[in-house]
Amino acid sequence: MSRERERDDRPEKSERGYKKFFAPKRKVCRFCQRNVRSIDYKAVEILRKYIPDRGKITPRRVTGTCAYHQRKLAQAVKRARIMALLPFVED
Amino acid sequence: MNLYETGFVLSPALSEEETAQFISQMAEVVAQKQGRLVKQDIWGKRRLAFPIKRFKEGFYVFFVYEGGGEVSLELERRFKQSDAVIRFMTVKQDPRDLEPRKKKRAARAAAAGPAAGAAESAGSEEISR
Repeated sequence: MSRERERDDRPEKSERGYKKFFAPKRKVCRFCQRNVRSIDYKAVEILRKYIPDRGKITPRRVTGTCAYHQRKLAQAVKRARIMALLPFVED
Repeated sequence: MNLYETGFVLSPALSEEETAQFISQMAEVVAQKQGRLVKQDIWGKRRLAFPIKRFKEGFYVFFVYEGGGEVSLELERRFKQSDAVIRFMTVKQDPRDLEPRKKKRAARAAAAGPAAGAAESAGSEEISR
């Protein structure tokens, strides 16, 4: 939490006027918002949002997912791949 | 006693009766090994994300059952023997997933949330620090 804040604050410290033009958007974990406990590998529609075009898992610096849910998500995607619900590679 | 979920993909080449027969056979195996079938989820034919054994689609079935490890062992042994099954996986349900997450984190986030929001709008916190 605190680390996240520092990261968001960094550009503002180095450059005062930065925030005026690019307000850093606060990203919140979408699973935490819904208070999700576990992520099911069969929920393909949800998992698809985290594997764009190439079929890779989106890093959490992009999606804003918290560490806990990113671990669960990665596990779910990998399970779904074994069951051929999601691709390992896609071009 | 644990909660397990076994998913398996059947070959699309099987006829409808063969598929139904195989599924009921597996359900019997669960009962035979003193497992209690909680849920039987039959998705039916679905496109595979990639070809398996040259098949482009598969018949998805998921079993959720309660029992000892022998149930999944026996199921998987049969899956390996059978040509009908092209993919299978057993997942053990983590008992920690059933109880709600600790309140502490949520409470802390709620306390930090409004404070951070106020500081952001005022833009004074960083300067004073």
